[in-house]
Formats: sequence, structure tokens, C-alpha cells
Amino acid sequence: MGPTSHSGEGGRTDPTVGALTPTGDPVLAARFSVPVVPQTFVHRPRLAERLDAGVQGPLTMVAGPAGAGKTLLVADWVTTGGLPGPAAWLTVEPEDSGPGVFWTYVLQAFRHHGIALPDHVGSPARPGRVDHSLLTRLAAWLDGREVPVILVLDDFDGASGSAEVADELQFVLRHAGDGLRLVIVCRAEPLLPLHRYRAAGELVDIRSADLAFRSEETADLADRHGLPLSAEVARVLTERMGGWAAGLRLCALAAERADDPEGFLKDFEAGQSTLADFLLAEVLRAHPPETQDLLLRTSIVEETHPDLANALTGRNDAEPILAELQRANAFVEPIGHSWYRLHPLFAEILRAHLRVRHPGLEPELHRTAAKWLSGAGLLSEALPHAADAGDWDLAAAEFIDDLAIGRMLTGLDAERLDGLFAPMTPEASGPATDLVRAARELTRHDVDRGVAYLRDAEEKLPDDPREAAAAQLSCAVLRVLAARVAGSADMAETAAETAAEAARALPADRLEQRPELTVLMLTDLGSAQLWAGRFDAARATLSAAVQAAEGPSTAFPRHEALSRLALIDYVRGWPGHAESHARAAISEAEHSGLPASVRTGVAQLVLAAVAIDRNDLVAARDHLDQGAASSAASRDPIVAVELALLRSRMQLAKGDPQGALQYLDAISQKPLASAAPSPWVNDRIAMARAAVRLAEDDPQSAVKVFEDEPPHTPEGLVAEARAHLADGAGEQALGILDELSDDPGRGPAVAAWALLARAQAVDALGDTAAAESLVLRALTVSRPHQLRRPFLEAGAWLGRLLSRRPALAQGHDWLVAAPEGRSLAPRTSQGSVLPSPEPLSERERDVLERVALLMSTEEIAADLHLSANTVKTHLKSIYRKLAVSRRGEAARRARELGLL
Amino acid sequence: MRYEIRVDGQMSDTLTAAFPELDCFVATRQTVLYGDVTDEAHLYGLLARFLSLGLHVVEMRQLPQ
Repeated sequence: MGPTSHSGEGGRTDPTVGALTPTGDPVLAARFSVPVVPQTFVHRPRLAERLDAGVQGPLTMVAGPAGAGKTLLVADWVTTGGLPGPAAWLTVEPEDSGPGVFWTYVLQAFRHHGIALPDHVGSPARPGRVDHSLLTRLAAWLDGREVPVILVLDDFDGASGSAEVADELQFVLRHAGDGLRLVIVCRAEPLLPLHRYRAAGELVDIRSADLAFRSEETADLADRHGLPLSAEVARVLTERMGGWAAGLRLCALAAERADDPEGFLKDFEAGQSTLADFLLAEVLRAHPPETQDLLLRTSIVEETHPDLANALTGRNDAEPILAELQRANAFVEPIGHSWYRLHPLFAEILRAHLRVRHPGLEPELHRTAAKWLSGAGLLSEALPHAADAGDWDLAAAEFIDDLAIGRMLTGLDAERLDGLFAPMTPEASGPATDLVRAARELTRHDVDRGVAYLRDAEEKLPDDPREAAAAQLSCAVLRVLAARVAGSADMAETAAETAAEAARALPADRLEQRPELTVLMLTDLGSAQLWAGRFDAARATLSAAVQAAEGPSTAFPRHEALSRLALIDYVRGWPGHAESHARAAISEAEHSGLPASVRTGVAQLVLAAVAIDRNDLVAARDHLDQGAASSAASRDPIVAVELALLRSRMQLAKGDPQGALQYLDAISQKPLASAAPSPWVNDRIAMARAAVRLAEDDPQSAVKVFEDEPPHTPEGLVAEARAHLADGAGEQALGILDELSDDPGRGPAVAAWALLARAQAVDALGDTAAAESLVLRALTVSRPHQLRRPFLEAGAWLGRLLSRRPALAQGHDWLVAAPEGRSLAPRTSQGSVLPSPEPLSERERDVLERVALLMSTEEIAADLHLSANTVKTHLKSIYRKLAVSRRGEAARRARELGLL
Repeated sequence: MRYEIRVDGQMSDTLTAAFPELDCFVATRQTVLYGDVTDEAHLYGLLARFLSLGLHVVEMRQLPQ
């Protein structure tokens, strides 16, 4: 590859046919399109060669002041082809300094330029920190590519203030092998460790001095403006301008209009003024007053459209003026779909002129721009202008009317929107403004102030939820959130009904565009229902939330809903479902690059709880630590309580009741944030207290725990029964157990505890046969989930029972094959509780061998010259001795025991 | 912190109006802007403003109180 590959003019990107972003926003799409190079652009092979050399290595930096011609240089180089791989272009903007936003746009730039990213890489869902797992997946995918991706980050200064973005970029670059070639275009050096790249010969930097025009290049530029220059004039002009591209371009533009262009350029003297300002004034003067006026007024918007320009000037001549400016290669460049962008340097100077020439006009222009942009459906672009105009009621009204309130609570835009409304002044007093204020307070967990603003808003809203439906819906969604934080399921359900009514008054497609609104409301409603112990309602609500469309705006609520579904499954005694919901929740978070600190932590806690039930304490500790890393641990009462309960359970499992108690005392010392108490959470705290007392061999105190805090839930009642049993009050325990309803929603984990408690009770009453049958049932329900905890904590009676009837535990070697090699019932000193099985007779062994060969009863009978009934008798005997119930199990068990 | 910032060329009144927090006078081929700078963030913000207006900063120093 050499400079010749760049000499052609072909292969330019036509922005007017460029693809739009998925949201169809032309302004956003412009950020991914390679800027169009004007006809007057001077192709400079010496710089293109440097870029070619740069992308042989990982990092290229083009750094120079405004107007040095950086962007056009790289744009020309990218579009003329000959690159070692496909290129993606991203124009970075200041709001991209949030890493989540930055990486979202990088990934979008890849896709926009046809670089197919695999789905498993995922996409960030939060503006802030991005989980390293996402960046690792991205880097690994880049590393695995045959040809590298060239990523051009234009205007990188937008993100240069963020050390995090720089660190993450550095991380991806280091781990992408030869798969990523980064080209950074910036005014100030980025925070990357440039010296390290430079020392390793891995950096090509093109700086001001390189970008400066040389005399022959100045001559070329003038030539393209139709102004042939002598070598001498070109040299003088270059020297005078310091080779500054923007200055030269402005000079050429001014000269084009002069009577004697060569003379103008030769004698050009900016005097003692600053160059750009002087030149711009010169060039402006050459344009008719209408054009000057349009340029001044449109300088307040980054990008303009003829209709927007007309709105700003109050005339209707924008289209020909913009076309003429573009033709003259002055100031504006087309970015496609009839949109134009002003050169940033000129826009900045024009704004300075606007303020001096029309003092006080700026806010008015911002207001006009906000209204036009909002009318054009470009809310993201409209809001900053409404804010700049200081018209907060307008900004809030447009925001609420667009059903965008959910974006303030979750997704990539949350921080930006929060910051946008931060300077809101107290005079603004519309209902929309109150709603925005309420949302900002609620995201800061200040329920009292949030609710006060909601009340203000409600007073200004009509009583019928179908009027002003967007504001009513927003208000109701915030109400549900407030109710959740207050722990009131009733309030949440009432607000959800209002929300549904308001939603019915809105067109369905508008709601579909805002999936986060529904999923947030459902997740909050489900969480409130869960807190109140309405498990079935909570499960239905949260399942509906999980059905929401996937995407950055719904990722967090989906993650939260899945986590809470996992918790419901766990509490109701379904460890298998709990595990799969928890894993789905974690996978959703990983896919969306949510760092551990912003995840709910609930999913990890559920995994820890299941691991404790299985007596896998190593895994449990790991999950607990990850759950504790969530910042929700400090304010979500469910997370705070579960974390303490599980830590207490861990200490207990390790045989440290004192340590276990300390965690529980910490809960009661710190009152829960929620106003309303949660019956089942209180039960779980009581259960944990009682467990500590039982471990301390103090059953009376355990009974007392439940006297003070009568249980509401089946698992709480079972725990109360166990306390009575330990206290020797078997009749009382049985009474409690008899009262347990036959709830089909109760899963195997709860059933196992209940069966064992009942077994203990009947065993104590001397009904051994019934006790054995109950233990057998407990073993059977526990086996698929390997629930060892109920057996480990059952007490000494179980060890005695099992050593009396070893066949009971036959087929349950999972019970002793604990992950940590702990054996069952450590309190018994009689060695293994699962002794070798009763030996098989020779005939039984013959039958078993044929069973293992998958022969039928008749086939075995024929083979052994026995009657079918005799074979069946032998089979029953085999089943009993091996403690199995089916042929397949018998064969498997026999193999495990080495009988076959 | 009081700072003095020297910029190449004579800035027009329009451009100096973009730095309302600073006083200024014009010297030979240079504009001198001076005044209170709140903190580092303000300082870097000023530099960015000079950069975006295409102004060339030739000297910057902290003034004795």
C-alpha cells in the first residue's frame, strides 16, 4: 500500500445515501458518517503516507489546533481507500465522556459501517462505567479477526476529559492484538499513555507542524479556488498564515471576491488582528446581509436544516443560501438528508459576533430551535436548546409529552438528562416541571421530596387520567416507584391502575417506542408486591416485565425483574428455578456491560443461598462477595437484609453461632428504609435468629423468638415447629405442621424442611415406620436439587435413624458427596451413615446383569429359565437392597457400588 | 488566583466579549487578558475557549497577589 492508492478521487461516500441510525435520527447518523471532502480540498500525499504507516501499528494521533485541517485529512484518507481493513468513523461529542455512552457509539459506529459485531459482545446500558467483561469480549473478537478494524475517533476532545474512557480504550487496544487500529483526531493530547506507544515505535503522530501547509500546497489550494499564484506569493502567504489551513481557506474565499485576487493575496495583511476573526469578518462582509444574518442565527445550533434556519431567521430563503454557501465551500458542509454543519471554529466565532450584534437574542433563538427540533421529533437535540433558553417549562413539557421520563430513570441517557435539568430554576412551575423534579429526587432515593413534587403535579393535572395522558402516565409511573421505595404494595397497585388507564388513552405505537416506561413500572410494582409478600402477584408482574423488548433502556429493569423472580423462586422453595432466573439476570447484566456495583446484587445472593442449601460454602462465599459489591446493598432493604441473613447462615454453617448472631444484630440496629414492614422478610430474620439459638443448644430461646415474632409463612412455621421439637414439645410441633396448607406453590426446599420436621416429631413419638417413610420422601424431594442443608441441620435423631435403617439412604450418595467432602450428620460418631448395602444373592445378581443390558422381564425370564413372576420378585428384592425404585436406577446404583 | 494570558494578535471587541470574566488591553501584536481565575477547571475551560476560537496563546502566567 502506498500513496498512489490515495491519488484517485473515486470512492467518496455520498452522505445523502448514508444509512440512518435505528432511531432514524439524521443528526445522530451524521456522527457516524465520514465528512464529505470539498472539491477545493488539497490532497497531501506526504500526510496520507504517514496515516498509512500509522495504521500498520495500533495507534495514530492527528493533533492540531482548530482549523488545522485534521478532520478533512483523515476523511479524505479514509474515503480514497487502500486501507488494511474496514473503517468505522465516530465524531465524539462532549456528552460521550460517559464510558457507557462512548462505547455504545463505538459499537454503533462499527455496525453503521457494516462491521458485523457478534451479538454476544453486548451493548452498554448505563452511561457510566462499563463492565470490563464487555470490553474483554470486544477485544477478544477484534483479536480474532483476520483483517483489522480501523476506528477513527474524530473530535476526541469531547471525551478527552474522561480518564475512564482513556483507560478503557487503552485496555481494548492492548488486548485486541492486531485487530484494532485506532486513529485519534484531537486538539489536545488524549490521556492515553502516548509515551509508552512512542517508545515502542507503535505511535505515529501527525502534529501542527506536519499539518501546516507548505508553499506548494498553498499554491495548490489557491489553484482549486481558481486563483493561480506565483511561487513567491504562495511562499509569503504561507509564511504569514503559519501554514494554518483555515486561515488559508478564508483568505482564498476573500480573494475570490476581490477585484484583483493575486494582488489581494500578495498584499494581504491581517494587520495586528487575530487571524480567524479578521478573516471571518472579511469573508462575511463579502456575503449579502441575508446570508450574514442566517449564519449568525444558525450558529447557535450544531447542525442546521433549511427549515430550521428559516425558523431562526423568520424568512424562507434558507435553502438557496445554504446551497450557495456549500457551493462556495464556505463555512458549511452537507451531512446528508438536507442537514448542514457549520465549521466548528467559524460557528464559535459567529456566536461571539451574535452576542455582540444582537444582545439578548440568543435565548430567543434557542427557544425557537427547541420548538422546531421538538416538532421534528428530535427531542434529544431540542432539550439542550430549551435549557439554554432557560425555558424550563417548555423543556419539561416537551420531555414529558414525549413519554421520555423513563429515560431519566434508566438507560444511557439518564445522567445526561439529569444534568440537563439540574440548573432548573424555581420559577418554572408547570406540572411537567414538577414531574421532572420528582423523577430527579426519586433517582436520588429521596422519597419525601419526590412525593411532594408528585403531589404538586397531581394538583395541576386534570382528574380524568385520560386527559393529558402522557403526564398522567409519567406521574403514575413515578408514583409506583415511590410506592416501591416506601414498601407499599397497595399504593403501587393503585398507581399502576392509573398508569394503565392513562396508557389506554395513548396511541399504542408511542408506548412501544418507550418500552422502558412499562418495564420500569412493572418492575417497581412487582418489587412492591414482593416486599408485601404477594408472591403470586409479584411473580406475574415481574414475568410480564421480563417480556419487555431487550435494549439498553430496558436492560436494567429486566435484570432487576429477573433477579427478583429468582428471589421469589428461592423463598418459595424452588432452587432450580431460582438458579436459572438468577443466571438469566446475571447474563442480562453482563450483556449490557453493567458493572457489579450497579447490578441489584439479588441474583448473586440467591445463588449464594442455593449454594448454602447445598452446603457448597466455597461457591456461596464467592456469590456473597459479588452480591455485596452492589451499591444497592446500602439502600435496597431486600438486598441489605438478605446479605446479612446469608452471612449469618454462612457463619452458622461453619459452626460459629456467635459470629452468626452479630450479623443479625446489625440488621436490628439499622432500621429498614421502608415504611411498611415486610411479613416474610421478618419471618426470615426470625428464622435466622432461631437457627442460631438451636445451634447454641438453647431451644427455649428459639421458641421465644417465634413467640415474639409469630411467623406468617410456611417456612417460618416449619422453623417454629423445629424450635418446639428441639425443646421437646413434639405435640405442639405437630400441631403447627398440621396447620400448613397444601400450597402447590411451595417447592421442594420448603417441603424438605417440613418433611424432616414431621419425621423428627413422629420419631420422637416412637412411630419409626412413619418417620422412615417421611425421611425417604424428604430425600426424594431433595435429591434433584442436592439440598444437603436440611439434613445437616436436622439434628442427632436423623443420624440415629439412618444408622438403624441404612437402606433409607441408599441411592442418595449425593448427600455425603458434599462439595467440600463433608459427611452427613457430623454429630454422629458412628462413622459413615451410609454403610455398604445388603449383599445380593447370586440369582439377584444374574437378574441385575440382564437389567443392565436393558432386557425386559420376559426376556430375562426366558434367558434364566425362570417364570416372569420369579424375576419380578427378584427385582423387588434388588430394589429394596439398593434403595431404588426403578430399573435404570438399579443398574446405575449397582455400577456405582461396583456390583456389576 | 490571578492570571495573565497573552494571545497572538489584537483581539476584536467581539472576541474579547467572549471572555467577560477577564479584563484586557491590547499591546503590540498581542492581546493581554487578565483577571481572577476561580480554579483549575476554570483555567482549563479558558484554554479550551481560546482553542475553539482559533486563538493562539503565547504566554500564560500566574500573577502575584
